Amino acid sequence: MTVSALTRPGERDRPVVKLGEIDWVFCLFLSLIAGAGGLMLFSIAGSSFTPWAAPHLARFGLFFVVMIVLALVDLRVWFAMAYPIYAVGLLLLVAVDLVGDISMGAQRWLDLGVVRLQPSEIMKVGIVLALARFYHGISSEAARFSWWLAIPAALILVPVMLVAKQPDLGTAMLILLTGVAIVVLAGLSWKVIAAGIGGAIVAIPLAVMFVLHDYQRQRILTFMNPESDPSGSGYHIMQSMIALGSGGLFGKGYGLGSQSQLNFLPEKQTDFIFATLAEEFGFLGCVAVLALYAAVIFMALRTAYVAHSHFGRLAAAGVTVTFALYVLINGAMVMGMAPVVGVPMPLLSYGGTVMMTVMIGFGLMLCVRVNRYSEVTSGKGALL
Amino acid sequence: MSQPAIFFQEVNEKQGVFHRRAIILQAFAGLGMLALGGRLAKLQLMDTAKYETLSASNQYNFKLIPPPRGLVIDRNGVVLASNRPNFRLLVMHDKDLDTNATLKVLSQFVPMDDARQTKLLTELKNTPRRVPVMVAEDMTWDQFSAINIREPELAGVSADMSEVRVYPHGGAFAHVIGYVARVNAQDIQPTGPNADAILLHPGFRIGRQGVEKAFDIDLRGKPGAKKVEVDARGHEVRQDPLGDIQPTPGKTIQLTLDADIQLRAMEVFGEESGAAVMMDCRSGDILCMFSGPSFDANRFVRGLTGVEYRGLAEYERKPLFNKALTATYPPGSTFKTMVALAALENGVDPKKTYHCGGSWTFGRVWKCDAVHGTQDMHSAISTSCDVFFYQTALALGPDKIAAMARKFGLGQIFDIGIPGQKAGLVPDTAYKRRAFKRDPVWHPGETPSMGIGQGYTHLNPLQLCVMVSRIANGRKALHPRLIRSIGGVEQPRGNAFEDLTVDPDHLAYVRAAMAEVTTTGTAARVGDLGLGEIKMAGKTGTAQSYTYGGGGRGAHGARGEWRLRDHAWFVAFAPYDAPRYACAVLVEHGGFGASAAAPRARELMRLALLKDPEVRARIEQPPPPNESGAPATSSPGVAVNAGKPT
Repeated sequence: MTVSALTRPGERDRPVVKLGEIDWVFCLFLSLIAGAGGLMLFSIAGSSFTPWAAPHLARFGLFFVVMIVLALVDLRVWFAMAYPIYAVGLLLLVAVDLVGDISMGAQRWLDLGVVRLQPSEIMKVGIVLALARFYHGISSEAARFSWWLAIPAALILVPVMLVAKQPDLGTAMLILLTGVAIVVLAGLSWKVIAAGIGGAIVAIPLAVMFVLHDYQRQRILTFMNPESDPSGSGYHIMQSMIALGSGGLFGKGYGLGSQSQLNFLPEKQTDFIFATLAEEFGFLGCVAVLALYAAVIFMALRTAYVAHSHFGRLAAAGVTVTFALYVLINGAMVMGMAPVVGVPMPLLSYGGTVMMTVMIGFGLMLCVRVNRYSEVTSGKGALL
Repeated sequence: MSQPAIFFQEVNEKQGVFHRRAIILQAFAGLGMLALGGRLAKLQLMDTAKYETLSASNQYNFKLIPPPRGLVIDRNGVVLASNRPNFRLLVMHDKDLDTNATLKVLSQFVPMDDARQTKLLTELKNTPRRVPVMVAEDMTWDQFSAINIREPELAGVSADMSEVRVYPHGGAFAHVIGYVARVNAQDIQPTGPNADAILLHPGFRIGRQGVEKAFDIDLRGKPGAKKVEVDARGHEVRQDPLGDIQPTPGKTIQLTLDADIQLRAMEVFGEESGAAVMMDCRSGDILCMFSGPSFDANRFVRGLTGVEYRGLAEYERKPLFNKALTATYPPGSTFKTMVALAALENGVDPKKTYHCGGSWTFGRVWKCDAVHGTQDMHSAISTSCDVFFYQTALALGPDKIAAMARKFGLGQIFDIGIPGQKAGLVPDTAYKRRAFKRDPVWHPGETPSMGIGQGYTHLNPLQLCVMVSRIANGRKALHPRLIRSIGGVEQPRGNAFEDLTVDPDHLAYVRAAMAEVTTTGTAARVGDLGLGEIKMAGKTGTAQSYTYGGGGRGAHGARGEWRLRDHAWFVAFAPYDAPRYACAVLVEHGGFGASAAAPRARELMRLALLKDPEVRARIEQPPPPNESGAPATSSPGVAVNAGKPT
């Protein structure tokens, strides 16, 4: 049952029709990635579903259902909830900041009693929604360069600074880059972009030298030359590269990766799970998984192309950017091309928070796809 | 902004910008993925070998297997140094290992007080990572198995069975064989044989003295390695027996010593200080080389406590000192054999007599032990008349005596394989010129004391044994041999050397006089060994170790304070008609040679002769007077011409 721009309006709202509009090939690819994650988690636990593989697969199942449900929601609900979700995320970030002051050091979690929530994860979706919502309402002329742009700048920088203060540089960077990507996609003037890039080139080295914490600076310096301190800060990178390189073309075989099985590889079930995969399945396995990721990214981006509403376009693209950044940053880190920042490989790594963020994001993306012909009228008249 | 964006153109404009820019985004994502793929190809396809090596060195550790140290055996195969099993507990440190907690746990199995734990922690800290440190050794089987079972839970801990050096005869061979001890920092060298990693192994012991030191490399062998797979915390995950490298055991070193004689020497010395050296005077093999009092070399293997070491080092009888090689003493009257030979070789008539009235005046009064009356050379050797030799020496001069002494090996260092020999001194005019810048002239007044083996003359017991064995042999300038074979390879024999360029008749004359010594002379009755016709010939010596107020001879210190007493010498060979064994015995501050040294030499000689199958055959079956082949009867009455050795 396919729909088109000419399908009767009421017809498109039927759940069965909507279900048919979901990109099931995309869902299959997601499941393959998550399945590969389960496979690796099973291997590094010494052929055991506990402690990682079973929760990982169960979570994926749960969030898969959540994703489908979110995909079936009317896009106008997303549209209407954009600012509220952003606001809640911001409030929680402030709350974490305050509670964090009372307790100790880096506090990223907010213990709500029932669940432990990481507000920065809400913000990853929140920033996409808020920016998409904002740009939906302004003209392309205003999006190029105008005083209006102070609003998206604030929307981005306030949460980025709050997260960076936690301190969680990886997430802050992710939010910042996602936000900037949306601003650029929405049509920011090239001159401003060029000026921004120029400013960044000047500012980043200064920031590294004067703003960063010592350990953060150390990570960056170590990344430049991991062999300089193979048992200290360079240990993670060296061991990860050893795992990758020793995998070769075909890998050492499932369950036979000495680097991960013998614990030489740190964080093997989370941030460095890709290295485990590389060690046991070799270049061929890695390329297969990278191809799946590429397919997921391009299919998600395709949704942004076909969406009729500007909100839908930007939301789908924003979600895709976040996901792609996860993959690229983690991949670069595991392969020794980027400093060690706590960014996991989405769907492959063990960990519920990131999986939740990604699956909710894809729920939004699929929702855009299902509702790609709707124009989403702006303002209060929409739904609420 | 509240205005809905409904104008078609506006919608189109926004969409157009987005689409154009999304293509750029897409390109970025694509490039990023390609970069990842390229990087993967570089790491996994091009640099595989490098990372495979690194991975393997992470994964596998080679644990050194120390080789069993070579045995030291005597001429008959009796084991003098071997190894016994030793259950040890080893701990190594590494990152992520809590050594302190590990030691706490281990103290439940083996007794370890807090002070010991603190000491071990310091030692562990000063040891390179992953090099094990020994926490306990000689554990009982129960302790060993208890720890062995828990080994998988205790990171960095291993319990193993190693071998520890053991010297079954305790002190008897301590000076010859030496001992092994812990490796010092100075022992480890960047190059050469001691660059070996095995030196870092906690159970490894390095040879410190004697044979253990001189043949350390031969005895050491080659370490093997056990291939084990380890995890990141150093836990042994599994073993890989196919990857093991077997150790090569050290070579067995066979000495020429005879354990029975050596042990007898230790017995007869008791707490006396001194040395006994015995040689086979046909081959040059050293059968006995004992220095007393000795020490238990086994204590050194474990490491001595400061108290133990001081006890040994400060004892006035110097047990750590090899008196057979390292100490030199005036040879006393044993040296008269050399003076006599020098005289005979220089044409002095042995019938020439001197009169001994108990003393002789030459510049001062030179005393003699007794009033010997008229003495020819034969009787002067037998009675050890100083007056005769004062004058004989004076007539010859020092250089002729010294030349003869050197022919018999005195003042020489012999290559016997182990270190620590002192050459001593056979003085002559050249020596005087060299050593006394302010008084370089040899004065005639210095010759008489040289004639009786005093003065500058200082020799070690090995040299005197070589001297007497050459006198006994009569033809060859024997060289002593201590190392019989290394790893089954025979070492050069001591008698493959030049002829002794001394008239055999003159040697026979001196041997006959030495036979007289043990029959009617200074050591009368010692020559009768109680072995029938087998007799021993010898020469006593009583050497002044201390100058008693310028008194010279006659003021023997056989009593009084130990360290002021004379040294007692006895050199001997037997059987005197067909010499096979020669020995030199020194009893430091023992008093008279005849009473302190000669009986000890007799004991050793008896044992050597009884162990010799040919001599034993002679003792038990003397040549029957008739041809009937009647059962042998003991016939001590068989006449032996003592003056003419065959």
